[in-house]
Amino acid sequence: MRIDASDVRKTYGDVTALDGLSLSIPSGSTFGILGTNGAGKSTLFRLLVGHDRPDAGTVAVGGSDVTEDGRRIRERVGYLPEHVGFPDGLSGREVLAVHSAIRGLPRDGRTARAVERVGLTPDEADRRVSGYSNGMQRRLGLATVLLPDPDVLILDEPTAGLDPRGVDEFHAIVEEITAETDATVVFCSHVLPEVERLCDRAAVLHDGRVRASGSIEELAAAAPEPGDETRGDRRGRRGLRAVFRAAVADEPAGDSRVDGVEVTS
Amino acid sequence: MTETESAETRSDALHPDAAVFSAGDEDRADGGETPPAAASEATESATPEGFRGTLRHVFVVAVTEYRLAVRSHWALALTGLFVVFGATMMTFSGSAVGPEGAERVVASLTSLAAYLIPLSALALGYDAIVGREDEGWLAIVFSLPVRRSEVVAGTYLGRLTVLAGATVLGFGFSGALLVREFGIGEWTSFLGFLVGAVGAGGAFLAIAVLLSTVAREKTHALGAALLVWVWFVLVHDLIALGVVAAFELPDAVLSAFVFSNPVSAFRVLVLSGLGTTAGGGFTAVLAGSDLSTASLAVALAAWCLVPIAVAARLVRRRRL
Repeated sequence: MRIDASDVRKTYGDVTALDGLSLSIPSGSTFGILGTNGAGKSTLFRLLVGHDRPDAGTVAVGGSDVTEDGRRIRERVGYLPEHVGFPDGLSGREVLAVHSAIRGLPRDGRTARAVERVGLTPDEADRRVSGYSNGMQRRLGLATVLLPDPDVLILDEPTAGLDPRGVDEFHAIVEEITAETDATVVFCSHVLPEVERLCDRAAVLHDGRVRASGSIEELAAAAPEPGDETRGDRRGRRGLRAVFRAAVADEPAGDSRVDGVEVTS
Repeated sequence: MTETESAETRSDALHPDAAVFSAGDEDRADGGETPPAAASEATESATPEGFRGTLRHVFVVAVTEYRLAVRSHWALALTGLFVVFGATMMTFSGSAVGPEGAERVVASLTSLAAYLIPLSALALGYDAIVGREDEGWLAIVFSLPVRRSEVVAGTYLGRLTVLAGATVLGFGFSGALLVREFGIGEWTSFLGFLVGAVGAGGAFLAIAVLLSTVAREKTHALGAALLVWVWFVLVHDLIALGVVAAFELPDAVLSAFVFSNPVSAFRVLVLSGLGTTAGGGFTAVLAGSDLSTASLAVALAAWCLVPIAVAARLVRRRRL
């Protein structure tokens, strides 16, 4: 499913969270959203799942406006918020059963598959959530997202708080989803190597606007740093970092389009 | 069947969702086509399928809330509270100037319940929405294909089931003692008390859910709930009594005073059935107001429905 945001504005009181943001995420892509704190990443995600309405502009998933068809769109979207939590009195498996029942999903072993996929053992899934670590809660959250085999996965800083093994396992899950399904995966992260590893496209948000967007290769090649050409495979990382720096600077490197990548002030 | 699949089947079989699943959803295609996004939610909910979906959502949320309340020992604590206070009231108390026998006991239980039930209901409901948001659960549930109003309705119904069960079981213990003492013939007056108590509890639970919906923090909701209790249980009656004593008021105004307070409606509903004014205070003044049982029952029902309807409306604006 394709995602389109067009000239989206959103303010909360005096704070402008999104200021004319426009962004297109192709169907089936793995798209990373980069940005500093307060750049508007979480606000964009909230609009995508219908938690909030834009003050102006349109947000569409699969061609349907989220403000008009939010509930139908959410049938095909799995969303993992930044702060994941579950009622202490439920077991992991019961949390999944609630999700499954609300979505009206068939009982075809998908709960067990989702548990297995995110690396929770059956015993852990049967335990009360109150005994879960932060990492286990995020795994359970990911399982709830995977349950309906969604067309779109929206993951808000999914590796925050995970230990290195958890991060690796999350990366493996996303790679598996990317390889095996046509799902569009959108996630935001502060970790550039993570975006480089998992995404085929990315955008940098700053002050509620898209400052740079394009394929990872385009972004990496857009602003190579001196000496990059001698560093072999590290060139891309340094290039992406340079684009990020330029995009989030108060005075960006300049309005330019380099190899299909737009860096605008 | 793998071990994990077997475990899931066990879990689903125990879970009330199993009943939901068997209600016609199993034929849904796994990962089927994206539904056409033409009809609005209002149009959709008017269709039988939309209505069934709404019922399923409300039921699932209600069952989940019920289960959580039972597991957190709310049900046990409330039942125990009602048993202890009810039995104590029956043993040591009774109005000296009220009716005799079983009716005296029911009148005393009504006075007790007028304080206890609102407090219990407000305590049970004040964190219904804001508490789930604090947990991080609300953001996840609202990202599912469910209307926010359905979540509010399910939350209310689940907790109402806990409160009603605790009221019936807890005060039912007093009822059993009553029947043993005065015979089965007195059961009717006690039944009226029980129904009124559930109605009053439902009204205050609805108010609590409304407060929980508009509050940004749990502490705010708790503070507002305490103020609500003080107003309806302590202050409203005193003000009404003062106004009635100071002015010559028509019956319509007296009725308005009763209808504007679920505690008064509950008291008058039960005590008018006993043919007594033993509740004292404002209730005694209302002895001659000729309010019908039906109108009082409608007033309590409205106190249950209106706050929930408002909460279901306001929750759409809640920013997560």
